[in-house]
This record gives sequence, structure tokens and C-alpha cells, in this order.
Amino acid sequence: MPQEHQHHPALEVVGLSKSFTRTRALADVSLSVAPGEVHALLGQNGSGKSTLIKVISGYHQPDPGGRVRVGARDLPFGAPVQSYRLGCRIVQQDLGLVGNLSVLDNMALSSGFPTILKTISPKRSVAQARRDLERLGLEIDPRAPVSSLTASQRTGVAVARALREDWSYPPRLLILDEPTAALPVTEVDTLLQMVTHMAATGVGVLYVTHHLGEVFRVANSLSVLRDGRLVGSGRVAGFDHDTIVHLLVGEELEAEEPATRVDRLAGVAHRSERPILQVEDLTGGALAGVSLEVSPGEIVGIAGLTGSGRDELLGRLFGSVPRAGGSVLVGGHALPQHRPDLAIAKGVAYLAPDRKTSGGVMNMTARENLTMPNLRPFWKGLRLRRKLERSRAAEWFERLGVRPAGSFDEPLSIFSGGNQQKILFGKWLSQQPAVFLLDEPTQGVDVGAKADLHHELRAAAMAGAAVVLSSSDLEELAELCDRVLVLLDGRIAAELSGGELTEASITRRFMPAAALPA
Amino acid sequence: MHDGHSEQTLEMSATAADEPRRRFAGSGFGLDRFSGVYLWVLFIVVFGIWTPSEFLTSSTLHSVASTQAVTGIVALAVLIPLAGGLYDLSVGATANLTGMLAITLLNHGWAVAPAIFASVLVGIAVGLVNSVVVVSLRVNSFIATLGMSSILAAVLVIITGDASPVPPTSTAWNNLTQTTVAGFQIVVLYLIAIAVVLWWMLAHTPAGRYLYAIGGNAEAARLSGVRVKRFSTLALVLSSTVAGLGGVLFTSQSGPSLDFGPALLLPAFAAAFLGSTQLLPGKFNVWGTLLAIYVLATGVQGLELVSGAAWLSDMFNGVALIVAVALSVNRGSGRVRRSRPIRGSGVPVSGPSSPEQDAPGQPPPVTSARVTSTT
Repeated sequence: MPQEHQHHPALEVVGLSKSFTRTRALADVSLSVAPGEVHALLGQNGSGKSTLIKVISGYHQPDPGGRVRVGARDLPFGAPVQSYRLGCRIVQQDLGLVGNLSVLDNMALSSGFPTILKTISPKRSVAQARRDLERLGLEIDPRAPVSSLTASQRTGVAVARALREDWSYPPRLLILDEPTAALPVTEVDTLLQMVTHMAATGVGVLYVTHHLGEVFRVANSLSVLRDGRLVGSGRVAGFDHDTIVHLLVGEELEAEEPATRVDRLAGVAHRSERPILQVEDLTGGALAGVSLEVSPGEIVGIAGLTGSGRDELLGRLFGSVPRAGGSVLVGGHALPQHRPDLAIAKGVAYLAPDRKTSGGVMNMTARENLTMPNLRPFWKGLRLRRKLERSRAAEWFERLGVRPAGSFDEPLSIFSGGNQQKILFGKWLSQQPAVFLLDEPTQGVDVGAKADLHHELRAAAMAGAAVVLSSSDLEELAELCDRVLVLLDGRIAAELSGGELTEASITRRFMPAAALPA
Repeated sequence: MHDGHSEQTLEMSATAADEPRRRFAGSGFGLDRFSGVYLWVLFIVVFGIWTPSEFLTSSTLHSVASTQAVTGIVALAVLIPLAGGLYDLSVGATANLTGMLAITLLNHGWAVAPAIFASVLVGIAVGLVNSVVVVSLRVNSFIATLGMSSILAAVLVIITGDASPVPPTSTAWNNLTQTTVAGFQIVVLYLIAIAVVLWWMLAHTPAGRYLYAIGGNAEAARLSGVRVKRFSTLALVLSSTVAGLGGVLFTSQSGPSLDFGPALLLPAFAAAFLGSTQLLPGKFNVWGTLLAIYVLATGVQGLELVSGAAWLSDMFNGVALIVAVALSVNRGSGRVRRSRPIRGSGVPVSGPSSPEQDAPGQPPPVTSARVTSTT
């Protein structure tokens, strides 16, 4: 459709930098996406991909000097509506659909319904939605509720919504942020076809992904970001799998063999042989049969991309998320489902991934959060002894260096992310767990607090806890763990330990062998 | 009262996290948490000057204390589930049913004690049904108890044949509440006794701690080993029990009536919400609730003495409820962070939404959009 702009790039980024107060998220990045082209944007977590997208979509103001042009027109920064008017369309990873509304209603949420005399015209709305869907090769009834669609159809609806007709501001550039992250493997093909279809209409596509296999299948060109810098770009034909991985993780990391790991290998010898945690053929959700054993004193990492089942494993293991099958034994006794209280009584601690929704009770005090899993020691003479609680809380505040110091009678919500996480760590450490399950323990935590938490984690393992650490932070996994299990499509695809255990080797195992270029 | 000022202080230190906050809200004698006390004093002074001969009398004191006692008991009943993020809108209907049941039984020749016992038992049964619907069937507590109150109203008509029974002649029945102790009807002492027990339970036992945790963030509580279903059940059964007792005391004190229950509901909620802005701001609490009951009653009493208008008490309670909820909501919304309602936790949809520190006072679905949006 954008005939008159056919010759200009759909997107042109020149010398873009973006600094936040202390860090530089983007440094002198340039890239260009032609109309009708699919351009893959690759990079590890924290490499600057999302910052770049946010600048293009107008949410971030970049450092002076950089320039973004969409269809040959300069993008004024810091105003999302301008970005839209120039033709940028973004489909976020979570799609932003409302499940119990129809496809039609979802598509009209942002653009409004076609109306006659201010009354919704159902006929015209349906016809227009159908047109928008068909342009992407999608045969979906606009009246169906979104919740009845498959995952790839939902992505399709989100894309169709982004690309729907808007004569005043025709779409020129579509940004897809990890569109396959939440898709089952079986539906990835459908989505890739759709992307190709879309590009054929003349829209430039910026395709963000972690999956290298997809890059070779849909993308014409690619750019790789690492630590905010563009470390490689060009036609896809000029790259192979290994070069890209190399670009993604960088030279120095691959060679690295942290001394700590050597120390730990030495420590393995005097570790108890009998595993305390035994998981057999665990299924449910994305998990398609996971078995693992963890011994006291061991730190086992779980890695995997979104959709691999990594983010579900610990919840199902703990029993707070229902399992479909399989068994979980702690010290030889089965861990029942739906009963976190029994799991806790058996010595299992589970640090939930999201502090605010499932980790802490934000409106209760730090002290109350700390003592919640077990109030028995403080229940004396028919009263909860606050004095005892306070001295316990004070101990943990001191030990973990929580700031502001001594303010354990303040609500959890007033603490910074890192300090909240320390308090929740203290909550579980004070239970002296035999099995410590941690889901994204340092997400959104500053560097200092992170180091403190890592220290505590090692100390807990040293004291004999079996630690299972599920994290999307590969550096953390490589640094802390005795071995790392890499999940792929709900199964353990690889077990890495010793010298094999590096960020690069974990990244390499994320991709199914079949997706490698033939 | 606490305007943008305190709000801002909170927000800043929440990010900087370098200094304990809440100088305003948490300690000292800030207008904030003791505003009810100041308002009470203000009422007494104003009406005391305006119409001293009528207002500043011990009979005013005694009558305000005793007429509000049952309202206070019902307010304490709704307080328990509110602490756990649940609504019990059936307390009024429960009270009405048990009160009238007791009278009906007495008129059938039952002795006082068994009649009361049977009636309170019915209250407990109502609570059990409520908790099955809310906890096991996962119906939003607002809806479940709203439905239940309609059902109970129907049961009441069945039992009484929609005709108010004659007042029982038993003196023991009347003395149950109307015996005076130091000028006060004894029902005031019952209120105090119930308040002390509930205060102990909510503030000094693990059960209370768990209830507040569930109200704050049910999923986090569950993952910490709190038996969310068990304590939600406990809360709903307790509230119906206390309400049932309140109903019996009401008919003993004021005689049979077919429609006193629903009239108790609004003042009870108004007091519980207003109370959550008092003494321990952000927390539904026993003494704050009683304070609210009596501040409102004093205001109403004074205005009625001055003007004689009959609509005052309804107007007063309605305004108070809205103001109270507005206060508690806005304390919470000063900060942006708001977590999603928790699903699949036994506590329904609307329940435990905003674990913001001062926000539990703005419980769940008062912002009613949430009721629908999260199902």
C-alpha cells in the first residue's frame, strides 16, 4: 500500500544512543529496514533491544544526536502518537488482547467502531475486521471470543489490529516483540507464514526474537545487539548459527572459566550422595516430563526461553501450580499438590517470581512478612509476641543489610526492589529450608543487592540446603550453579556442569537442533 | 486531611527507601489517624454549646450508647471478612432472620436460652453456606452474600408468614438486653465484650495475621503457607455468627420487626470503612470501627436534637460511607503500583486486590469495575 514510499526505508535508525542515569542502554546504534523486508533484531536480555523499541515507539527520549526516520520522515521523540502517525505499529509480547471479548471488539478497542449516526454498525464492523484479518491470510470469525483462539491466531489478531486500515496514517513499519515466545512449537510455522505474508504487502517488519531458527526462516537481514552496541548486521545469508551465537554472547565470556566453579567442583566430593529432592516425570502446562534430582548442598540452575516450561517448573514442583502428572519427593516423602503449607512444613521454601503479585504482602510490615511462614515461635500465652518478632526481624535486617536499617515495622511497599527481595529471602532463610526453590530471585534487583543475595544463596547451600534456581539471567546461572538444566519444549534438553557451564553454552542449548540451518 | 502532602512523602521514600516514612500517618497525633476523635470532640463541643440542656445529658449518653450497640455488633461482623478481603452483605438479613426466629420460637413456648441458641446456630449455618459458595464454588463474595441476603429475606417471610409476631412476654428475654448497668443497657457491655474478643483475634492471634495477609495479597499468603480457604471460611462463619447474635440482641432490645436487618447493613459498612481510616489507617480494625459508629451516632443525635429532621441519619451514614471509601482508596492510589487481582486462590476475583500499604481500606470491588473485568 505505501507506494509513494517504496524507495525510502521503512525504518532508518542513525547513531542512536540512550543513557539512563547510570547506565548506557544504547550506544551509537544504526540500522535500516526496507519496505517488504523482515529484519531480525537479536540480543540477550539487557542488550538494549527493548530500549531501542521504546525509542522507536516514542516512549523514550534518546540522547541528542541520534536520529530515527520512518518512511523518510524524522520521528519527533517522546510522543507515541507521532510514532503511530508516521506508521509505526508495535505488537508487544503480551499482545494486549482482552480474552473474553470478541475478536471484533478487540480490534476496535484502539481504533473505535465504524458507526452510523454514532451507533455501532455491526455489519460494517464485522466486514472491516474480516478484511483486516484476511489481508494477513487469517480465516478467523470476527465474532469469536479471543479466548477460543489458538495462540498463533491470537498473535494474528494482535498483528491485524496493529495493521488495520487507517487511511490517514498508513502503517509502514511493524515491530513484533518476541511473537513466538509464548507459542507452542507446533504453531510457530503458522506465525512465520503470516509474517512473510505481511511483509509481502510492503510493510517493513522488525522482528525481535531469541530463536535463531526463526531468523533463518523468515528474516532477510538481521542486527545483533550486545551491551547496547550493534555488534553485527547484514543479510541473513551472510551468517550462520555459530557466528550469531558468537556475536550474541561475546568473545570474552566464552573463554571464561570462573574460579568459583573450580572451587565448587572441589567441594562436590564431600557432599552427601543421597538426593533430597527427587522429581520424576513432572508434567503439566508446558512441562512434558521433567525428571531431576538435587542433593543437599547443591545449587542446580534451570534455564530455558519463555515457553520452554522454565517459568512453570518451580511452581509445579512446589505444588502451588497444579501438576498433570509425575511425582515430587522431598526426603523420600511425596509433596502433595495445592498445599504450600504442607510443602513448607516438609522444609521446602519457594521464592515466587513476582514480588508484588505473589511474593510479599505489600501492605503488611516487613516484620509480618518475615514471620508469616511460621508464627509458632511467637505464639505464647495466647498472644503473638511482637517483641520476639521484632528481635527476629532485626536480626535478619542486620544480617542481610536491609535499608533503611531497623525499619522492620514499615510496610513492605516502602522498600526498594532489592531490599524487598532481601526481606523475602530472609523470610525463607529463617525457615532453614532443606530445599530452597527460587524463581527469578534477582529480577529487578540492583547490582549490590544481587551480590548480597548470591552470597546468601551460597551460604544456604553450604549449610546443606538443596537449591534450585530458575532464572533468565544466564550470568547468574553460570556463576552460581553447580550444574544447569536447560529446558526446551518442556523437557530437559541438556545438563551442563563443570567447564561446559558457560553463558554461551547455555544459549547454544536454547535452540532445538532441528532449527539449525540445514 | 491527608492530602497530596503525605502522599508525596510516601512515594518519595518508597523509591529512595532511605528514610522511614509515615511520619504523618503512623505515629504522633496526626490529624490523619485521630481525625475521628477530633471530629467527635468537635461534635460534642458544637452541640454542647448549641443545645446544652438537651445534648449534654446523661440520658443522651446512655441512649446513644445503647441504640448503637447492635449496629456496632453488626459492624464488627462485617469487619472480619473485610479484613480478609471478603464482603459479607448478608449480615443484615442474617440478623433479621435470627432475631425474628428467636421471637417466633419464644412464642411457640421455647425457653429463652434454647431459643437464642437455636437462632445463633442458624446464623452459623448461614455462614457455612456462604463459605461453601464463596470458597468452594468460588463465587465472588459480593455477589454470593448479596444473593444470600435475598434468600434469607425470603426465608424470613416463610417463617413469619409476613406478619410481625407479638412481642414475647418473657421478662428474661427483655432483660437480656435491657437490664441497666450504671445507666447503660447491658447490650453495650455485650458490644464491648465482642469487640475485645475480636480485637484479640484480629490483632493478637495467627488467625488474625493470616486474615489480614489474605486481604492484602491472597496469592502471596497462600505461597507462604497460609490456608487461604480455611481462614476465608472462618471469617465468613464468624461474621454470620456475630451477626446472628446481633439480630437476637436487636429483637430483645427493640422488639420484633420484619425489616430492621437491611437498615443495619449500611451503617455497619460505613463504620467499618470509616474505621479503617482511623487509629491504624489502612487496616480494618475493631476500635476504629467502634469509634466511627459513635462519632456518626453523636453527630446524628446532635443534629436530630437541633433540627428534628428524620432523614438525617440515612443522609449522614451514606455520606460517611462514600467519604470513608474515598479516603481509603485515595491513600492507596497515590502510588502507581497496583498488583492484579489474584486468581485461583480460593478467594474470589475481587477479593484481594491491592496490596498497597494503606490500601486495604479500599477493598476489592468498591471500584466495581474489577468485579467484572477479572473473571
